[in-house]
Amino acid sequence: MVGPLLASKYRRPRRRPGTVDRPRLTAALDGARHAAVTVVSAPAGFGKSTLLAAWLDTLPTDAAAVAWVSLDERDDDPARFWTYVLTAIRDATGVGEEALELLASSPSTPSSTESALVAALNDVGGTDRDLVLALDDLHLVTAPEVHEGLAFLLEHRPPQLHLVLATRVDPPLPLARRRATGELVELRAADLRFTAPESAAYLNGPMDLALSGDDVAALDTRTEGWIAALQLAALSMRGRDDVGAFIAGFAGDDRHVVDYLAEEVLGRLPDDVRDFLLETSVLERLSGPLCDAVTGRDGSRATLAALERANLFLVPLDDRRQWYRYHHLFADVLRTHLADERPEVVPELHSRASRWFAGVDDVPAAVDHALAGGHVDLAAELMERAMPVMRRERREAELLRWVRSVPDEVVRVRPVLGLAFVGALAQASVFDTVDRRLADVEHAVRPDGGPWPAHAPPGLVVVDEDGYRSVPAGLEVYRAALALRRTDLDAAAAHARDALALVPESDDLTRAAAGALGGLASWARGDLVGAESAYVAAVAGLQRAGFVADVLGCCIALGDIRRTLGRHRDEERLYRWALALTDPAAPVRGTADMHVALAGVLIARDELTAAGEHLDAARQLGEHRGLPQNPYRARVAAARLCAARGDRDTALAVLDEAEQAYDSDYSPEVEPVPAVRARLRIRRGELREAETWARERGLSPDDEPSYLREYEHLTLARLLLARRDDTATALLARLRAAAEQGARRGTVLEILVLQALAAQARGDVPAALDALRRALGLAEPEGLVRVVTDEGTPIATLLRALTKQDPAYPSARRLLAAGTGDVPAPSALVDPLSERELDVLRLLASDLDGPDIARELSVSLNTLRTHTKSIYAKLGVTSRRTAVRRAHDLGVLPLRR
Amino acid sequence: MSSSEHQRYVIRVRGRLAPRWASWFDGMALVPQDDGTTVIDGPVADQPALHGLLRTISDLGLPLVSLTATDEPTHPWRRTP
Repeated sequence: MVGPLLASKYRRPRRRPGTVDRPRLTAALDGARHAAVTVVSAPAGFGKSTLLAAWLDTLPTDAAAVAWVSLDERDDDPARFWTYVLTAIRDATGVGEEALELLASSPSTPSSTESALVAALNDVGGTDRDLVLALDDLHLVTAPEVHEGLAFLLEHRPPQLHLVLATRVDPPLPLARRRATGELVELRAADLRFTAPESAAYLNGPMDLALSGDDVAALDTRTEGWIAALQLAALSMRGRDDVGAFIAGFAGDDRHVVDYLAEEVLGRLPDDVRDFLLETSVLERLSGPLCDAVTGRDGSRATLAALERANLFLVPLDDRRQWYRYHHLFADVLRTHLADERPEVVPELHSRASRWFAGVDDVPAAVDHALAGGHVDLAAELMERAMPVMRRERREAELLRWVRSVPDEVVRVRPVLGLAFVGALAQASVFDTVDRRLADVEHAVRPDGGPWPAHAPPGLVVVDEDGYRSVPAGLEVYRAALALRRTDLDAAAAHARDALALVPESDDLTRAAAGALGGLASWARGDLVGAESAYVAAVAGLQRAGFVADVLGCCIALGDIRRTLGRHRDEERLYRWALALTDPAAPVRGTADMHVALAGVLIARDELTAAGEHLDAARQLGEHRGLPQNPYRARVAAARLCAARGDRDTALAVLDEAEQAYDSDYSPEVEPVPAVRARLRIRRGELREAETWARERGLSPDDEPSYLREYEHLTLARLLLARRDDTATALLARLRAAAEQGARRGTVLEILVLQALAAQARGDVPAALDALRRALGLAEPEGLVRVVTDEGTPIATLLRALTKQDPAYPSARRLLAAGTGDVPAPSALVDPLSERELDVLRLLASDLDGPDIARELSVSLNTLRTHTKSIYAKLGVTSRRTAVRRAHDLGVLPLRR
Repeated sequence: MSSSEHQRYVIRVRGRLAPRWASWFDGMALVPQDDGTTVIDGPVADQPALHGLLRTISDLGLPLVSLTATDEPTHPWRRTP
């Protein structure tokens, strides 16, 4: 997000009166309507913007929409740049609202920018008009991220989109190929220079100078067709009696054209106009009230209007004549004269401008003027006040500029500002001075390391009192972040804990940051209980602060953790709660991730149809609605679904894609894709491939268990079991002890299933049944199915044995009914019986007749018939007798004793 | 930063520039030459500073004629008053 937008920046300039028709150039620009990109590249004062405005006026509005952005230095920030561009596109076409929301809802990273651009390009591709996107003064933007975004836009442009770039410096875009294929239209300085006839048309037309052909030729030669110079020359000559002498003097002088002419123009102005021009030259843009404040006089608005009428290089920035700017070159001249003639007034002029901008809440402009006038303390005060909003709006590039503009000695006495600067640096991943800055802040507030003083000690400057109360917790948050960066997990967790203990009640964001950092550190250390509560704090803080996309990001981690803790129902509740936070009409990034995560829960529960629906929902939302991990997580979930449906070839192919798409997004890699694939290989009996994987990963049955390798070790245990290698037993025992120690009941459940299989392989049926019984005890309350049934025939045999021992064992029967993935057709029910149908089936196995059964179940005969028909269909039979026999064969019904 | 890290550059642009423009070329001397060019001469902190200088030259519409890095020390007497 970028704060308030200046409407004048995306209002396209209209063709101005007093300009010369340039048909040779507008004709050349007509090619822009068919080209991918048009570059108008020339130094200042060559009439680039004027030409584009004139050409755009000729476009038929029913065939082409025009989005225009006048760029300035502050747009050197991807978030701000794209907000302006997408706003201009939306205003021009009515589409792209979604892209803007995406941009505003996530931190500014290359991937989030791309997400927003994809959304915008999709929308533009669906419109039936061409869209000309004109970016004026593109040379003022130098951030590589912005150029990458432009290259992306160009690479993925729909045919409707035509980019028109006006710049003083050729943009670093891959244009050579487009030049070769004719998709690039170029106009350069040589094309833009006034030809002699154009000079004549200008000087004798709008400027009404009635010059001879020789005079025009002399001026054209002296200025080399440079339009800004011709304009200045024309202004110098207006009202002169001795035009011929002026031209001779000008032509015979070798001083810089602008220097010579500006002096001529300025020297002939009345003193009050000259003073006004010089004093207001410190402003990037001018309005009546602002100029009143800066010059200390009244009536600036009328003065500006008069200057515009006199064509004194004043460019209107809006249709209502509220904002203007000076022509770049003329502004440079004015500033030079101001600095030369009245250097002592410059700081005061900036100070007045700063106060005026602060008064209208344009803090960045106020800061710029405070700094330009050398008022560093004023700038620091403005920054400290604006910091919470600036950081909330993630104006990272602006913040970084601020950090670099304030000297250390000023920051040292301002602990709140000092800490905010650390935050800005951390956001931008510039860490070299962060340790020192943190120490400075702490030393300033409590030099002796005692308790934190409730009020700032004398000598320190604090403007933001709330910010001061958050300093102790804030210090610990950044120390946690630094510790995490050097992977000192213990220290990171400890600092995050301290931060949570110190954070003031009202500071949701600091609490959220402490929670997320502490959660991440605890998770990577294998302390899932600690990680769970830390992430819960993070999610709550982020939700209160209104950062929905960040809430969803934390929910991915929190869901993983709850699953490992064996709290699958809590995991599911979390995703559904998170989805309810998003507005279905404008889903934020992360919405897709929640659907993918829900699909995972549903697959584990063997609700494959519903799981497929959620994966479809995620796909329909598009990759741009996904956080960085989503591309790989969505594929892993899709592969699991394929495997659960028995299509293992596809599953394997999709897992290969998942590995390509892997992005840790700073999370620990607790279920590595290669290990997921190795499990599938083992299931397919492709043990050699799985062995290669285990060797490459350096896995051994003698390894000490560690949480981060738990998934791999369990995969190794599966491989050992498949090879009938008895070392699996000892490995599983150690893994189980570690998992129980860490309260990871989800992992314990999986280990128990494997232990059941290991015992069965040894021929120790009682031990196998014991392990299985414990596994079912964990699986049943969480509704889990596939962790058991995925093990196929061997587990089905055990389940049947269990139901024989204890016919009333509820979950074992249901699991058998659900079918086991590996067992070929006969025992697998494609469509499992419902609870009600099982009740009916049980009575069908008795001696009761139809009416008795209906009475027993308190249903009508018709309803009973419906149930019976459904049961027959599911079992693939046509009579009561065969249904009962088949149900016994399948283990759906216990055998009669 | 010590001035020893600076590199001295001699930049020549077309057109004579009045000395008041020296404030645009921080710490460098503007020396108008007889051939109608101006030499901008002095220490430049680093590459970004050099590119900033070139951009100023471009923004002022000054055609760039030549740019030379030199190890010779700056001659104070060549500065314009």
